[in-house]
Amino acid sequence: MSRDLCHKAGYSYTFLSDPKAEVIRRYDLLHQGAGVNGQDIARPAEFLLDSSGVIRWVNLTEDYRVRARPEQIIEAAKALK
Amino acid sequence: MNQRLWNWHLWAGFLLCLAGFASFPFFARFPVTRDVPWPNFLLFAIGGAVFFVGLKRAFGQSQQYRGKIAGPILATLSLLAVGFFCYIVFYMTRQLPASAGAPHVGQKAPEFVLPDTTNQPVSLASLLSTPLVGAPVPPKGVVLVFYRGYW
Repeated sequence: MSRDLCHKAGYSYTFLSDPKAEVIRRYDLLHQGAGVNGQDIARPAEFLLDSSGVIRWVNLTEDYRVRARPEQIIEAAKALK
Repeated sequence: MNQRLWNWHLWAGFLLCLAGFASFPFFARFPVTRDVPWPNFLLFAIGGAVFFVGLKRAFGQSQQYRGKIAGPILATLSLLAVGFFCYIVFYMTRQLPASAGAPHVGQKAPEFVLPDTTNQPVSLASLLSTPLVGAPVPPKGVVLVFYRGYW
């Protein structure tokens, strides 16, 4: 995870690293052997949580080329109180 | 025999099919053309139509046009390019684990602590309770994005 790359891309939100895929496993999102050189990586997934940490919207794509668009997440977030 | 015309339709059709395949990394940069790779299929369709004209000339008007040998070879290569493309977008990228145990709507998101880009541990609880810079109150929600990439 590179701070410089985040800075260069202008991302101001939090980037977290899960090198041992512990949280990825806890969320059952491990895609075994799908990374470069057969490493285990995460399947793409997006979760929207309300202020109490309850999941209000989920996107588990069926095709890893196709991910949630920002406008989809913003639309779902509008329903949050 | 040497008077027969060069059958450029075959080569143009072949190149269009190759372009349809090779241009995927370019079109994949835009969400609209990555989610549904229609420009690639459009190139394949135009390439196929042009190729069809070339084949008709090669075999229907073989006195006038060349291409009886190049035609089938280029047709095979073009079909391989289209077939491999279809394999990638309709099969390969859909090979994902079931993730039956993934948290679902209405469930509390499992707590975690992970290092950020400055190696400081960040918990989900702290993301939910810490106001964003310049904001008086904690956020209304948090978006968790699990992504794959190499950086």
